Amino acid sequence: MKWRKTKGRFRNSLTSRYLLLIMAAMMFMPIVMPLASVFYWFVNDTFSRTVYVPTAKYTSGEPLVKMWHAEAAKLGGASAEHIGQRLGELREEYPELSILWVDARNEVRVELPEQPDIPDTWSAEYTVQFMKTAVGNDPFTVVAFIGGDEGSGQGFMVMRIPRQYISVQQPFASETTIYAAFMAGLSLLFILVSWLFFVGIRRRLIRLRKAMTSPHSETGIPQPVQLTKRDEIGQLEEGYNDMVQQLKIGLRRQREEEELRKALIANLSHDLRTPLTVIRSHIFSIGKEQLSEKGQESLALMESKIGDLGELIDNLLSYNLLTSGRIELKLSPVDILRLVRESAAAWYPVWEKSGIEPDIDLEGEPVVWDVDELWFRRIVDNLFQNVVRHAKAGGYIGIRMAGREDGERMLVISDRGPGMNADSEHKGTGIGLAIVEHLAREMGLDYEIVSSAAGSAVRVWRKSNPLLTNAASDDTSL
Amino acid sequence: MSASILYIEDDREIGEWVSEFLKEKGYSVTWLTSGERAVEEADNCAVVILDVMLPGLDGFTVGQRIKKACPVLPILMLSARTSIDDKLQGLEFADDYLTKPFHPDELAARVEVLLRRSAAHVEEAVEIEHLRIYVKENRIVNMDSGEDIVLTGKQYHIFMYLLQHRGRVMTKEQIYEAVWNESYIEGDKTLMVHIRYLREKLERDPAAPAIIETVRGLGYRVRA
Repeated sequence: MKWRKTKGRFRNSLTSRYLLLIMAAMMFMPIVMPLASVFYWFVNDTFSRTVYVPTAKYTSGEPLVKMWHAEAAKLGGASAEHIGQRLGELREEYPELSILWVDARNEVRVELPEQPDIPDTWSAEYTVQFMKTAVGNDPFTVVAFIGGDEGSGQGFMVMRIPRQYISVQQPFASETTIYAAFMAGLSLLFILVSWLFFVGIRRRLIRLRKAMTSPHSETGIPQPVQLTKRDEIGQLEEGYNDMVQQLKIGLRRQREEEELRKALIANLSHDLRTPLTVIRSHIFSIGKEQLSEKGQESLALMESKIGDLGELIDNLLSYNLLTSGRIELKLSPVDILRLVRESAAAWYPVWEKSGIEPDIDLEGEPVVWDVDELWFRRIVDNLFQNVVRHAKAGGYIGIRMAGREDGERMLVISDRGPGMNADSEHKGTGIGLAIVEHLAREMGLDYEIVSSAAGSAVRVWRKSNPLLTNAASDDTSL
Repeated sequence: MSASILYIEDDREIGEWVSEFLKEKGYSVTWLTSGERAVEEADNCAVVILDVMLPGLDGFTVGQRIKKACPVLPILMLSARTSIDDKLQGLEFADDYLTKPFHPDELAARVEVLLRRSAAHVEEAVEIEHLRIYVKENRIVNMDSGEDIVLTGKQYHIFMYLLQHRGRVMTKEQIYEAVWNESYIEGDKTLMVHIRYLREKLERDPAAPAIIETVRGLGYRVRA
């Protein structure tokens, strides 16, 4: 079991494959060089046969020398015709040989084939020179006295053969191009194998990176990958898949928590509002009874406080949800003028009832900002609500667009109320403005409040670079 | 006129009180404490008041079912939730929306508006100032002279749209897009021109309109 496991581990390991390559590289010299020789020999053996006739007769000089001396001995005492005939036969038998017979009078009697460099009569000097040059040179030369070493006065016979016919094969020494080509080929093969090894690793790593950097469009979580092999990268892939799984679980848990929180807030809201509704309906019932003026006043006050309370609950819970980061704003280009106009149209009856004179100037080209429509309405609603609650005395609300120094347009909502710093029995917790502030920041908007005893104005405009300023505000919140 | 209202509310105290209140206002009320039988009951009603928080089926599901079964039946959603997700899901099928704790008069007013809107084809005639409008017959009578007022298709369309949303200020974009079915381009004077001709036909004194009111900076409104 253990052995199998280790064997499996060995096979499924990049290390082992890498080691194999390194070993191949180390053995390159000692193994590949002899291999190259064998290859070279094989190539010669197979392809050079037609050019080259290495018959068994010539595999070495030794038998030729023996044969030649034996023949010379046998010819001792034979007639000149017989010698000539025999030499002719030998020549037929060994066609590669050049044969000479020089008789006792130093005359060349047989010359097979015709050899122009050989003189007809051999002087003593020529003979000595011939013998001198013959030793160890090419062609391989054998000289034998006819009739054996003692001689029979019939002269000597000479046999010559080019050394290439009899020399032992020496592959190291010759035809280096084939050898070099073979070595180069093997080197290339080795490089190719290493390269393929690396490319394989690289491709798998890139595939993994691609999977990591292409998250799912909905969940935002990277996709798991298909496992390839069970080696180190395979384990990496496995680890990565595990991580993706963990992320998914985390996201699901987060979603569940989000749902739970929403449900909790919804229930809380319900539980708070239900009794308020009951109280309000009964206040209404009491209002129909016969009551003193003071009683009616008290009822009216209770009535308005219940309204405030309902709103406070809404704002509080909204603020809770918003700041928990659970609400995702869906920013899209929206015509602000249109949005504010529609919102103002909905508020118009309220203003009329409260004796607030609206002064609205939202004409002109559309002003397109990237905002979440629903939540931008909420900003505007909260601002309008503030005017109704705190600046009713001014009897005025101004809604218009104005230009800023940097060319951006800004929405200005102004009133002629007593101002933010004035004491007011309606002074709230400021949570309405806190929501405005949070939403504005999330949508890349900026706002400021200018307030004096003569009235207040809220200005909302688009930040010049929402991304940068967002990052900066994130830093400060940490 | 005794319109019947289907009222779905799980809280007994509120339910009892509101049904009583609506009955006093002259409506006949069917009050259910859960959404189970809502769709069957909805058949005979002129308007539905639906609470969001219900045991079992929640208000959104019930509302969607009712809307599927009776697409023209107006639904008023009552909510005790925060306005956040309610507004997202709720208004798709709901015709109006009221947050608890609501003022009873507000509820009565909203119900009235919804009834008027949906019952427009049931109602014999609507009277505004010197006009009597027979919605069903596409006929408008000037009661001063007793003559019929003939409007062009677009003029009638605009007037009916404002009439349906009586009491509410409608912006130029809203009117234009509802009548022409294409998006409004800033600076387009078409609607203004149509309104001018419409006033010439409808108003006693087109220079001081009493029926179609201009709300400066916003749009137009037919007063409730």
